[in-house]
Amino acid sequence: MSSTEAPVLSCEGVELSFGGLKALKGITFSVQPGEILGLVGPNGSGKTTTVNVSTGFYRPNAGRVRLFGEDITGIKPDRIARRGVARTFQNLALFKGMSVLDNILIGRHIHMRPSALGTLFYWWWAQREELAQRRVVEDVIEFMQLQDIRDEPVEVIPLGLQKRVELARALVSEPKLLILDEPMAGMNQEEKEYIARFILDAREERGVTILIIEHHMDVVTAICDRAIVLCNGEIIAQGEPRAAIAEPAVIKAYLGERAARRVGMGDAA
Amino acid sequence: MFYRRSGIRHTRYQSERQLFPLGFDRFLILSVLAVLLAAPFLFDRLYVTGYLLPWLIWSSAALGLNLLMGGAGQVHLGYGAVMAMGAYGSVHLMRFGAPLELAMIAGGLISASVGIIFGAAALRVKGIYLAMATLAMQSIVDFVISQTPAISGGALATLQAPPARFLGISLSGERETYYFALLVCAVITLFMLNVRRTSFGRALAAIREKDYAAEILGISTLRYKLMAFWVSSFIGGVVGSVLAICYLRAVSPDQFHLDLSIQILAMVIVGGLGSVLGPFFGAALVLFAPILINNALGSAFSTFGMTVPIDLRAHLPLVAYGALVIGFLLYEPYGLAKIYSNVRTYLLVWPFRHAQR
Ligand SMILES: Nc1ncnc2c1ncn2[C@@H]1O[C@H](COP(=O)(O)OP(=O)(O)OP(=O)(O)O)[C@@H](O)[C@H]1O
Ligand SMILES: [Mg+2]
Repeated sequence: MSSTEAPVLSCEGVELSFGGLKALKGITFSVQPGEILGLVGPNGSGKTTTVNVSTGFYRPNAGRVRLFGEDITGIKPDRIARRGVARTFQNLALFKGMSVLDNILIGRHIHMRPSALGTLFYWWWAQREELAQRRVVEDVIEFMQLQDIRDEPVEVIPLGLQKRVELARALVSEPKLLILDEPMAGMNQEEKEYIARFILDAREERGVTILIIEHHMDVVTAICDRAIVLCNGEIIAQGEPRAAIAEPAVIKAYLGERAARRVGMGDAA
Repeated sequence: MFYRRSGIRHTRYQSERQLFPLGFDRFLILSVLAVLLAAPFLFDRLYVTGYLLPWLIWSSAALGLNLLMGGAGQVHLGYGAVMAMGAYGSVHLMRFGAPLELAMIAGGLISASVGIIFGAAALRVKGIYLAMATLAMQSIVDFVISQTPAISGGALATLQAPPARFLGISLSGERETYYFALLVCAVITLFMLNVRRTSFGRALAAIREKDYAAEILGISTLRYKLMAFWVSSFIGGVVGSVLAICYLRAVSPDQFHLDLSIQILAMVIVGGLGSVLGPFFGAALVLFAPILINNALGSAFSTFGMTVPIDLRAHLPLVAYGALVIGFLLYEPYGLAKIYSNVRTYLLVWPFRHAQR
């Protein structure tokens, strides 16, 4: 961290094309320390791509990405993770065949010193570290209320819980910036409220800054401090969530020209 | 039924993470170990040196390959070449007067360092290309060994392994040799068991399952794939030297050709990718099934009074064993170990049938 004033993450004029398709057309925004920033937009607007660029999966064609003021453009994801970024994926990315506990333990990777010799001499070498890390993991398991399923293979538990395990895995690495890609997709109202609660608590208790992609507008307006609206790889609105998603350009993007005009007339009347 | 889980209450993480939390599993392991330890006194020496010894050595090799294939999900078709480097390296060192302990480790290091060079080149590609790259490694190593008189003594030459001593005990006797192979196998097995409960093993499993998710958790995929190559090749080299010194006692280039690589690959697949038990099952099946099939066919042919060309009889076991590999790939990709674990699960939840595990 260079200074407390530096934004946690900032994208400056980020552009990215896939072949002929311009997925991002010069995106500029920043995530401030301690905030929950919502990233919304219609399908295919470039939200996931923005996150992929920010976490090193894609190298932008133009523009820069900074983390705590330091340029991280083109740095590999594993290096970015070590600088305090964790994320979840839109389509679950849990490690099949492993228990919930082991999945979450992998989240502690950057805090451990894995080695083959340590593995061979487990009892004298790796065990103490494993047990120390286990305590941290158990804290998060408790925080996320996953105690009952910690020994289940991760592929047999319901989708809602799998999403929660993935969130736990990201949290356990003690990130400074947590990026969530649709953590509530496919959930019912109750599960959504649980996750929303966890997100708010994570910021409160752990002081993480959060960038969240979410389609549920009620959630965005409820938990986000600010929102950014993307459409066709451009930012079309940003600011206080309620205000941002009510802007005419946003309504037009979501509902089309005619609907937007109708809503606009309604307002005028 | 046998596997009673009720009444086991872990009060410490340590006891929960032990290798065999269930009493019956511990009992089974200890029984098998006891039999293996007593084997030279229980069984005929023909069985011990003709069956148990190769079984232990081939199982050790399959365990090493399984770390790479089952653990990290990387194909390797040149494991025989890896073993060859360890074998030749250690035999040469011992001929120069190095003690076995040192020669063995050095053999492992030679395999690991050459293996990792090929690995680094090969890991730029995935899947079928990686398979081809490791196959190329097999051919190159074969070629270099047989065409360099300084290494092999000539393409058709055999190189005698000098008499070895391990920790002061001479390995010229059959019993000593057997116990030495058992010790090496036990150490490798313990390592493989521990892999599953350390951050090292989890990192390998993570890149095998979802490399992108592993990366954003701070796991450098290239680094861990290379580590897997390194460790796996090291084990291959050590086992290669054990094979040369304890079993073959004289090395020649043709012992480490593609046949050996395929044989060990088959053991890993038939036994069970990623399982520690698997390689033992796989090695037993691949080593002994051809013999059994041959005997069975022989008696069947003679009872029915058929005369079968000797050629065909020699090749039938190979055909059967090819069919076996294909059968496993199709019907039980996780091999014999999975069948064992299904039985175990069945007994674990008996008389119920629908518990997950
Ligand atoms: N790897 C890729 N190769 C080619 N095109 C891609 C790739 N990833 C994304 N795209 C395209 O880039 C555009 C933006 O995709 P992105 O996944 O960022 O959208 P999104 O806002 O996350 O949408 P959704 O709400 O459906 O998740 C889309 O048109 C998509 O088809
Ligand atoms: Mg998306």
